[in-house]
Amino acid sequence: MSFEISIGPQHPIHVEPLMLRLSVEGELIVDVDVDVSYIHRGIEKALEARPYIQGLYLVERICGICNAAHSLCYCLNVEQLLGKEAPPRAKYLRIVVEELSRIHSHLLWLGHYFHTLGFETLFMYFWRDRERIMDMLELITGNRVTTSYNTIGGVRRDLTPEAEQRLRRTLDYIEERMRYYEKVIDSEPTILARTQGVGILKPSDAVRLGVVGPHLRASGVKHDVRLDDPYSGHDEIPFNVITWDTCDCYARVKVRIREVYESVNIIRYALDHMPSGDYRLKIPPFFKAPPGESLSRVEAPRGELVHYSISDGGDRPYRYKVRTPTLANLLSVVEMLRSRDGYEVYIADVPAILGGIDPCICCSARVMVTDEARRRRTIMTLEDVIKISRERGAKRR
Amino acid sequence: MSDEEDILRKITEKFGEGVLEARVLGRRRISILVPPDAYKNVVKYVAQDLGLEFLSCLSGVDYGDSLEVVAHLGFSTQILIKTRVPKDNPVIDSITDILPAANLYEREAHDLLGIIFRGHPNLGRVFLPEDWPKGIYPLRKDYAPEHPKPLRGGEVG
Amino acid sequence: MGLVEKLVKKCRARSPWILLFDTGACNACDIEIAACLTPRYDVERFGVLARGSPRHADILVVTGPVTRQARDRLIRIYEQMPEPKYVVAAGTCATSGGVYWGCYNTYPSLDSVIPVHAYVSGCPVKPEAILKAISILVEKIEKGEV
Repeated sequence: MSFEISIGPQHPIHVEPLMLRLSVEGELIVDVDVDVSYIHRGIEKALEARPYIQGLYLVERICGICNAAHSLCYCLNVEQLLGKEAPPRAKYLRIVVEELSRIHSHLLWLGHYFHTLGFETLFMYFWRDRERIMDMLELITGNRVTTSYNTIGGVRRDLTPEAEQRLRRTLDYIEERMRYYEKVIDSEPTILARTQGVGILKPSDAVRLGVVGPHLRASGVKHDVRLDDPYSGHDEIPFNVITWDTCDCYARVKVRIREVYESVNIIRYALDHMPSGDYRLKIPPFFKAPPGESLSRVEAPRGELVHYSISDGGDRPYRYKVRTPTLANLLSVVEMLRSRDGYEVYIADVPAILGGIDPCICCSARVMVTDEARRRRTIMTLEDVIKISRERGAKRR
Repeated sequence: MSDEEDILRKITEKFGEGVLEARVLGRRRISILVPPDAYKNVVKYVAQDLGLEFLSCLSGVDYGDSLEVVAHLGFSTQILIKTRVPKDNPVIDSITDILPAANLYEREAHDLLGIIFRGHPNLGRVFLPEDWPKGIYPLRKDYAPEHPKPLRGGEVG
Repeated sequence: MGLVEKLVKKCRARSPWILLFDTGACNACDIEIAACLTPRYDVERFGVLARGSPRHADILVVTGPVTRQARDRLIRIYEQMPEPKYVVAAGTCATSGGVYWGCYNTYPSLDSVIPVHAYVSGCPVKPEAILKAISILVEKIEKGEV
């Protein structure tokens, strides 16, 4: 007897509202249909109506968590159109804020992920330590989230020596805490049972489906925009691209934890080798960009972010296209949720797998279980689904 | 010869007349313009024979009397494969059988610009709400958003 | 007010449970509100818990400009909350449309869709501002001004 379960459109695990229709037999998922109806706000259309400097603030608010990546990508894009390049000091400062934003996003995801798996204490620990990073962001840029640090031609503020001292101390603290958390995660049997062997995505499937970011690297594919298509000085700073071979949810956790260490090292290197000079080019706020097109790519915390723009010589873009990393990762959810020979997926694994692609937080949850045979409908809340998922975790132990 | 010029040379050698325009946009950026009937073969060649199997993005652009589809391929060097279709008959082949990643991107281009992808498994609504009136494509240049209230099923601005 | 009424009002004002609802926001306000639940700001010491179901909540905290798709669900959730219920519009987008004003898929403000009792501005709203808003709202509930 097969059921159909609809999850969504609002769900605390998804990024934008997402409707998933699962066909289940007992507790095994046999088929998945993704119905994507997004938090569509009409941003691409709005960007065509605003001058470039106003568009910067709109683009930043496409996603609050990766706002540094969006504003960096936009600035790179417009600078390419204008044929200008930010000064060396600005490039390194951009890297500092970008990597801080990556650390905060990974800590946010780790806390939230363990919250869905039932590990409240780790959630509180990760978010408590994340507050230190938010303090650093506020010290350097003036705001915790939506930092508005990048501007066309450079950055808006300089880094003072006092801020640099505090930043180094915070980085030492974060690194020490992450080593402790990694030990906890590796020695906790519930976490290992819930994440190892769950949500397998083979490397060939991952590339075919256009998956990006830590999700791709957790399937063993070594691709990182900072390495393959460096921007803003990343080719001058040595770092390791973290991959993991097990292709499951455990790999996704490990990749993100290890990336925090890499980000800490990148920031330290950037601070040690910070060039002196201007942190901003003098570009008038309202300008006409010469006709042409430009494509900029940035490694946002969730994956590769692409901005493609076409200019017709006016003071606003003719067309501005944004492709966010979660849109690229969404198709892989269908692949990972489908049971095939030797690989079984249960309803209880759904939060772990969905959360593994790192979507942003959302809101209320609604799961409707339709029993076609008995013509009965039950509405379950996310808490019920998570309860099933935690009970399953306890049984596996 | 740089990487970019090398790739361009291979494509123009293979397709000759089939490539209307080919140029290097910058470091690691190439752009080619092909007619609609050659589009799928060029994508297949670039993805399978040249090894650039990663589809990063698929955009749609409104150029007034024609709609352009741009496929972005490649991990490191990105190649933009462009093709134009007339606005009164915006039909183009879908590339989901070569690159399954194109599934959601083509749906987006269809939803917001009205480009029809022949052979797509399920070309339906993806971004716009269910009660958005049919035939109105917000990203087209002739659509001016109602200000300040948005459209509400049935009312046309 | 009779004694029982006074007692009920006082009890209602203690420990309000909130429901967070995102009607198309960029998530910046959502993570700042979620940060209120974490040890640095710790809103639980005031008895505030974030619930998953509208039937358990007293206060609905809404973020984001109301998109077309979210509007019907928002109204349904509002109707499912038991009386007395209060609504807080968190962030500039909920208060006045914010940076998305004029976009084709968003409404101008939250109070054009459901009645609002408190507005908190900020882009995004700071956790301290949310705490202050909830405490002012709770005071007003206790005094019966809302």
